[in-house]
Amino acid sequence: MTTKGERLSLIIVAIVVAAIVLGPLFLLFANSFKGDEQQILRDLGNYRAFFVLPQDASLTNFREVLSNTTFPVLRYMWNSGIIVVTIVVIGIFVNSLAAFVLSRMNFKGRDLVIMFIIALIIIPMEAVAIPLLLMMAQFGWVDTLRAQIVPFIAHPFSIFLFYQFFSTIPKDLDEAAYVAGASRLRTYWSIIMPLSLPTIATVAILQSLEYWNAYLWPLMVTRGSEARPISLALGQFFSTPPPIWGDIMAFSVLMSLPILVVYFAFQRWFVQSTISAGVK
Amino acid sequence: MALKSKDQKSAWSMLTPALALIALFILLPFLMSVVLSFTDQRLVPNANVPTKFVGARNYIRLAEQGAFLNAFFRTATFCILVVPLQCFFGLCAAMLINSTLPMRNLFRGIYFLPTVISMVVVACIWSSLYQREGFFNYALSGLSLGNAGPVDWLQNPWTAMASLVLMSAWQGFPFQMIVYLAGLQGINKDMYEAAQIEGANRWQEFKSITMPSLRNTHILVVMTTTIFAFKLFTQVQLLTQGGPASVTDTLVRVMYMEGFRGGKVGVGAAAAVIFFLLVLVISIVQRRLVKEERAIQ
Amino acid sequence: MLKLTRRAALAGAVLASTAFTTIAFAADPIKVWHHGGRGDGERGKYEELIKAWNAANPDMQAVLEIQPEGAYTEQVQAAAASGGLPDVLDFDGPNYANYVWSGYLSPLSDMLSKETMDDFIPSLIAQGTYAPDGKVYGLGPGDSGLSIWGRKSLLTKAGVRIPTGPADAWNMAEFEDALAKLAKVEGVKYPLDIKANYGQGEWYTYGFSPIVQSFGGDLIDRTSWKSEGALNGEAAVKAMTHFQGWIKAGFVVPASEGDDAFYGKKTAALSFVGHWMWPAHSKELGDDLVLLPMVNWGGKHVTGNGGWCWGITKGSKQPEAATKLLEYLLSSKNIAELMQSQGGVPGRKSSAANVDLYKEGGPLNLYLQQLNAGMGYPRPAHPAYPTITGAFAKAVADIIDGKDVKASLDEAAKKIDTDIADNSGYPPFGK
Repeated sequence: MTTKGERLSLIIVAIVVAAIVLGPLFLLFANSFKGDEQQILRDLGNYRAFFVLPQDASLTNFREVLSNTTFPVLRYMWNSGIIVVTIVVIGIFVNSLAAFVLSRMNFKGRDLVIMFIIALIIIPMEAVAIPLLLMMAQFGWVDTLRAQIVPFIAHPFSIFLFYQFFSTIPKDLDEAAYVAGASRLRTYWSIIMPLSLPTIATVAILQSLEYWNAYLWPLMVTRGSEARPISLALGQFFSTPPPIWGDIMAFSVLMSLPILVVYFAFQRWFVQSTISAGVK
Repeated sequence: MALKSKDQKSAWSMLTPALALIALFILLPFLMSVVLSFTDQRLVPNANVPTKFVGARNYIRLAEQGAFLNAFFRTATFCILVVPLQCFFGLCAAMLINSTLPMRNLFRGIYFLPTVISMVVVACIWSSLYQREGFFNYALSGLSLGNAGPVDWLQNPWTAMASLVLMSAWQGFPFQMIVYLAGLQGINKDMYEAAQIEGANRWQEFKSITMPSLRNTHILVVMTTTIFAFKLFTQVQLLTQGGPASVTDTLVRVMYMEGFRGGKVGVGAAAAVIFFLLVLVISIVQRRLVKEERAIQ
Repeated sequence: MLKLTRRAALAGAVLASTAFTTIAFAADPIKVWHHGGRGDGERGKYEELIKAWNAANPDMQAVLEIQPEGAYTEQVQAAAASGGLPDVLDFDGPNYANYVWSGYLSPLSDMLSKETMDDFIPSLIAQGTYAPDGKVYGLGPGDSGLSIWGRKSLLTKAGVRIPTGPADAWNMAEFEDALAKLAKVEGVKYPLDIKANYGQGEWYTYGFSPIVQSFGGDLIDRTSWKSEGALNGEAAVKAMTHFQGWIKAGFVVPASEGDDAFYGKKTAALSFVGHWMWPAHSKELGDDLVLLPMVNWGGKHVTGNGGWCWGITKGSKQPEAATKLLEYLLSSKNIAELMQSQGGVPGRKSSAANVDLYKEGGPLNLYLQQLNAGMGYPRPAHPAYPTITGAFAKAVADIIDGKDVKASLDEAAKKIDTDIADNSGYPPFGK
């Protein structure tokens, strides 16, 4: 089908694109390992910015960042970890249960609830941030992890994704068990959920990326290190002049590592989840 | 019948956690946004000036004062620049991966990486590239044989927006790539074979088979990217704070600056309501277009 | 669920308050917020000071929390909205007026000792004085200095008189004559750097409002609290027309040239900027550097001043301890040490002699002379200050871009007055 010439040019283009994609990432890792800030500054403006020679590599930046008392990086990672895991785990149950009810059970007002939830998908978080902040202040939740978790557990789009998937599972499967006397909850838990792993992964990945990277809301609702997530902390570390590139890049690498590890482990799911997000 | 009435009760009780949370944390704040946008509510209440209804005053202020219109205009500019760029790169990358390229999965894995990296990290990396002594100026001077002087990419009103666009496109294009990839894989291979028998070249194939088959994917990609681009905030707040000369101000940033930093909740809420209406319009346009297509088929 | 958490919170509060009374006051440390920069030595110095305080006062422990400067204002807002302010915090210049108006600062002049209050330089007292009650709410360790840096060699070459103190400062005609002459000197690309590269922000207000004030205009009338007439009156228009004239004549370093036209590339002859450039300027220019007094632009000889100051919150449960801590942080000795490392104008009269830069004959002593001569003209401490400075900075940016001066100032004045009207005049202001 494809000629030799075409094949060659495809490979060349693919490699060029890969270089464009990888360049900034090489810069990130290279600079995080360059212990000498002066050298980073010297290398910043030429091709040497993208790699580090073995004799220049050191862990100095990481040591500096990890021992910084004003910016306790591990604390921030811990905060972000708690936030993301709690939202994802509780969110999967709450949202899938709602979707299960909507796709499987007959009750008055079902269609209305479905329409209501689909309509809510388009309300962007940004549009409700300020009233939400007032509410958090009322609850006394400002500067807590709660404020970054509880409002985001129920998620109309996740409900929609689950609902879509559940609708494709043949009804006979669980109806039979239900008629045989299993409770609705039982069929949800032992029949539907085990079939839904791909959707669970999709929702988990989309939510994890979103809350690991959250910036605007934590900026409004946290004040000190106690509840601040890693993304905002890095943003503030970066915006405190003058920039110390080695430390900034080491901080960035630390922030990116967990997500990269998960990405390499579950690459296929990531791609799948992106397609789902596009269906919005 | 007995089953149904049993469902009736348990359905609502099983829906309660989700619906209660949605009502409390999405619906209520949204309605509050609408109500607050007609008041002069302050973030820190003041005993001297109690909150009162002010009619459409907040909306009038936004319309009168250049900052909001400017932000709207700049956000739109960002969308107009970034959406085609991302879609173009996304489509190209998707076609590469959908071709007979060897090690396709490896390349797909690599191309997807930027989207996994947080925007904050991306901003840090690109900020170093955009420095006066950074790589882009080195490349510029090299390409122009030393004729083009160093540019303050992020501080120069002429280049700041373009710099943000380029960076955002780099971070975002894998998303479009994957959605296009799904679209490409849905195209019937026989169509290409038939075209080749008729002696069509690659460009003709692309023009008369690939592009038309992707119509719905295009609509989907363009609309979701537009909505996403509309929320532009993080990279602006980190790299330019809306400057220079306000050329990179955005709607979300105005909302943030008025409602939060400035403490004028009413004005911020009005901006949020307008922001929501714009997103709503884009969503409706998208659904209309997709529906139209379905009706035709 | 909501009810439950509320009740739990209430129970917690009751528990906490009993604990409070039974255990001891000492259990609750004094919380201090400081905007954190990096590398300027200020933060490290405060960390040291608090450490020393804690060692000396086991019964009144203090905790210093560094809040990143980028979003400091927002942090204070959020804390104020949710009742989570610390006991002691710092804030930039006239922003305190909004805090006082919103009711979350206590007057320092009622708390600090008279000796301490009397030792502060008048410009700092003026900055910290809240007009409606005449009390002082914010005091910082230092003030800022604003005037013009020059290069001796170029000034001599151009045949321009080098003034030595506020008394023989240039007037507008002499200044503009100097620009024209310097422009002709070899190697001078731009006679004047005004730090346009800082961009539209606080610098524009801080740096250029004194020019307006010198002509008799102001950002806002300080008694009627109206901007109309003050900011867009004849005087202000005249001042900003001169300002635009320098740019139109090509005398001014454009923003795109970056920060170092004066001290690095050495293509600029004069630099209109504050004391904070001393380290860079003195390092790069050495003996050729000369600090010139602020130009008497339009008849009233004024200069900008003000900076970060400390305040005590109304919600503090231990105002006495907080006051003692502030007396300590702002002691004459500590101020001298802070300013020695940081370079600002020492805020207490008795400190100056112990700061090398500012003692008699020191290289920056001129700033102190300016402020002692009563030239300091603080920015308006009014709750609408964020709007005032935003509107004026925007006007300055427009004027730099070549827009009509009168129209730019009209727009700014209208924006300010609209905001004030929208807030019913910010009572008790304007009453």
